[in-house]
Amino acid sequence: MNKHPYLRAYLAGIAVPTMFMLIVLTFFIVARFVYNVPVAIERLLVFPMAVVPNLWGVWNMLYVRLDSRHRLPFGIHGAVLVLLLAPIGLTLAKALDLWIVTPTLVITVLPVGLIVYYLAWKHIVGFFNQLLRVG
Amino acid sequence: MNERNDEKLRELLRSAVAAVADTELKQDLWPRMLRKLDEQTIRASWLDWALIALVSVWFFLFPEVIPAMLYHL
Repeated sequence: MNKHPYLRAYLAGIAVPTMFMLIVLTFFIVARFVYNVPVAIERLLVFPMAVVPNLWGVWNMLYVRLDSRHRLPFGIHGAVLVLLLAPIGLTLAKALDLWIVTPTLVITVLPVGLIVYYLAWKHIVGFFNQLLRVG
Repeated sequence: MNERNDEKLRELLRSAVAAVADTELKQDLWPRMLRKLDEQTIRASWLDWALIALVSVWFFLFPEVIPAMLYHL
């Protein structure tokens, strides 16, 4: 169980957004095909399906890589990821011409995002890390 | 010829793989498993509950942030 710590950290990191992906996918599919919300779903899903889970995995690997003096509390470490993801998401949304993500909306969602990420990392990713003996 | 080869192969396998004498468990592992599961229970502090309540209120007051939040999850 002591082998491949980065691989275990990556797997523990991607587990949460991968599971949430089902909820996200269901929400956007219902909005698009049931309520006919005019949004390009194939462009919309690029970010939550490809970028977010991988960044969660890499962010958890980074936590393992940092020595204990430079580590923030785990929940805070996760919340900081929002500050990286939000501009990437906004840039991608602009490039793909998605109107559901605007700068104003990102600023409104930022405090909530920080709290949600803090709780998700502290309790859920933390649980997976403990289970896989990461860090 | 084939039977002799088979016998030789069996002998080689027997000599290479040591026989396992005692396959019985020495103790019941279930209590240890229960202890491990208890250790991994999620314990939320009052601050975490307050944050959960705050986020719920936020989503209730500003439902338009929900798609943007899901986009970043």
